[in-house]
Amino acid sequence: MDATEIPLKAPPTMTSDVRANDVEHVERALIDASTRVPVLMFYTSAIVWLLLGTLVAGLVSWKMHAPDWLANCSWLTWGRVRPAHTNIMVYGWGCMVGMGTAIWLMARLCRTTLRHPLLLVAGAALWNLGVLLGVGSVLAGESTGYQWLEFPPYAALVLFIAYTIIMSWAVLMFRFRRGDQIYITQWYLLGAFLWFPWMFAAAHVMLFITPVQGVMQSAVNWWFANNLMFLWFGAIGLGTAYYMIPKVIGRPVYSYHLAAIGFWTYALFASWTGMQRLVDAPFPAWMITASIAAAILSIIPVATVAVNHHMTMRGYFSLMRYSPTLRFTVFGAFSYTVFSLFGVFISLRSIARYLQFTQASVAYSHMGLYAFYTMIMFGSMYYIVPRIVGREWRSSSLIKTHFWMSAYGIGLMSMMLIAGAMFEGTALNDPTKEFVQSVYAIQPFIVGRSVSGILLTIAHFVFAYHFVLMLLGLGRTSTLPTFLNPVSAEGSEDGH
Amino acid sequence: MKGFVPLVLGIFGMLAFSWTGLTLVPSMQIGHIDPQMDEDGNDAYPAPRSGMAERGRRVYVSNGCVYCHSQQIRPDYLASDVDRKWGQRRSAPRDYLFDRPVLLGKMRMGPDLSNVGKRAPVEDENAPASNGPAAASPAPQGNIANANTQPAPPAGKPPAPAAAPSPPAASSPAAPANVAKSNSQSSQPATSTAPPAAVANAAPAAASPSASPAAAQPANPAVAAATSADTSQGDAGPPPYSAVWHHQHLYAPRSVTQDSNMPAFRFLYSKRRIEGEPAADALKISGDAAAPSGYEIVPTYDAQCLVAYLMSLDQSHPLKEVKSDTPVSPPAPAKAVK
Repeated sequence: MDATEIPLKAPPTMTSDVRANDVEHVERALIDASTRVPVLMFYTSAIVWLLLGTLVAGLVSWKMHAPDWLANCSWLTWGRVRPAHTNIMVYGWGCMVGMGTAIWLMARLCRTTLRHPLLLVAGAALWNLGVLLGVGSVLAGESTGYQWLEFPPYAALVLFIAYTIIMSWAVLMFRFRRGDQIYITQWYLLGAFLWFPWMFAAAHVMLFITPVQGVMQSAVNWWFANNLMFLWFGAIGLGTAYYMIPKVIGRPVYSYHLAAIGFWTYALFASWTGMQRLVDAPFPAWMITASIAAAILSIIPVATVAVNHHMTMRGYFSLMRYSPTLRFTVFGAFSYTVFSLFGVFISLRSIARYLQFTQASVAYSHMGLYAFYTMIMFGSMYYIVPRIVGREWRSSSLIKTHFWMSAYGIGLMSMMLIAGAMFEGTALNDPTKEFVQSVYAIQPFIVGRSVSGILLTIAHFVFAYHFVLMLLGLGRTSTLPTFLNPVSAEGSEDGH
Repeated sequence: MKGFVPLVLGIFGMLAFSWTGLTLVPSMQIGHIDPQMDEDGNDAYPAPRSGMAERGRRVYVSNGCVYCHSQQIRPDYLASDVDRKWGQRRSAPRDYLFDRPVLLGKMRMGPDLSNVGKRAPVEDENAPASNGPAAASPAPQGNIANANTQPAPPAGKPPAPAAAPSPPAASSPAAPANVAKSNSQSSQPATSTAPPAAVANAAPAAASPSASPAAAQPANPAVAAATSADTSQGDAGPPPYSAVWHHQHLYAPRSVTQDSNMPAFRFLYSKRRIEGEPAADALKISGDAAAPSGYEIVPTYDAQCLVAYLMSLDQSHPLKEVKSDTPVSPPAPAKAVK
């Protein structure tokens, strides 16, 4: 396709040429303006947590091959910085950026301005406080010992109250929505908003208030962790992709029916996974088998979503050359397929006997939370931020740096961990080899993982710098969005 | 899609289905099991851990040991955990009755710890074994420290039924037990030198002997394997998986296993100036990690609890619902039921 034929139009932002009779544009501008403060609050906090989590991740990764580095300080011991890293990324970065994007999408799709935005700001502040409290107590040695639920109950309570404030406002937008049609993105977002409090509360009740006995705690723990991945992060990520891809290329979703099938099978099958992370653990075999079956069946939603996105994109793939949003979103949507298939692969019993206790599960988490979810979130931020600050991204080369560093970083990290896990798992499962052989096997790959982490660190700092420029109002004033590769000379070069 | 209500109902229904299926139903199935007992109501397994071991679990959790060490043995026909001598049978839900939080683990950057307490040497037996007659004098010291730091007997092993009262009498029965069980040692000279040494610096003299006969009783096939598995254990270190060994390993992992990538947990130990006699439980570490002269390194209470917890990890007790690979102490009932 010739670049000049591409229907790249100026997005209807406030800065675009708004005519008095163009009601839609005015309406959108009003909606965007009403979401400005809370969404920027969520985004800013998320990026601060992202940078912090990235630095802590550096500690975690480096200490694995330099175990004596900073080891003599109790709150910097590996076993504390690791849960600090995962929880910062999950609750600090992932939840906050997801809620920011979701609020904006909800307002746009319900075609209603956000009422009482300051309450959302208060919710965001409280959420920040909860994460800060939780991370602090994990570093102080107060971790609960359940993965992704390490925050002690008091910090979790703060998070829950904050969440209630935030969610009620997001769901209330439905009351004021205009139009009968509920768009695909709204299904996913509504699902995420209703699922999260349930699983968060259920997990805490079953682990801390009326604790279940023995190994059932692990079942509850993994049920929660997996559903947090799929029904919270996954639902927000997929919902966002269903908005961004059609929006950017200016063409409706290929098939509504396919999307409906995808949504309901996703809710059904993805929610039943979880126990496949505990293959051959001390549980009744049916539990694990059910989860493995659910993981395999979740290929159905994966396939429908992939086909739907692919058919929507067909003929427009070359737009990825220009639109940062599209590039990040398509990368994320594609990673969703890879992530899910890898999840099926490692849950098969014959594979799990090798990979069960290796770095493969770390690779899996990163593919889900980063390659899929975070990349889509980056994409949505590249779309949303210009619309709410009224400026365009300043520099296409900063965006390109961000994209390639992130893409290569996460790609390298996944490959390092998966390849390393193969060697590690083979050594682990061979009883004639000493245990330490499995450590030797993974060691070079762990070093490689640290290198990939450097790429991600650069990406995140570049992005944060760019975001701060936007916050300070230093973005470009232009009628054209910032393209990665300028279509025409005028208006899209740097240096305005 | 139209209609807000069907959408919300569907959304709730889906998660309700999975919540019921994966947490409530299994909870009915395995969430209310009792410890196993024999016909007379004795020999309950598992038993709640001692207070120190429970506190040690907190230390284990707060320092994130679970992110590298699993505590689950997979069945022998599915994985090599049993072949690795990490346990004699697969783990079962009943093994974790009193565990809160339960620490199954998802990662093995370090070895599985389900039975690390079981791998501990039978108290006095291994002291001569790993040291030989030449190094006889440090051995009893180590043993005293051993008994010191581990006041609570591990849950699996019942306390001494009737401890022999006098120290010399107590340490000598350990020697025959030695000869009977492991043939790769010459324990006779060691025992002849050990009792005087033990008496000489026997501050807590009562603790040491009372532990020894009890511990000498259960056969311990895992010990031999574990000892041989640990390669770097050639010279005069403490016997592997003993309390002294755990302390040394926690304080300076690479002084025990050369290529370990376990972080050192020095913040669980305190370095202090020796005043008068060196403390009985001071760590004996040479090389880089050694304390400067005039100083000694002693475990804090947290470290003692952590080691007590590690020593209490033992899933060797046969369970009716699990096939045991090798019969352990009372073999008859386990075999019969399978």
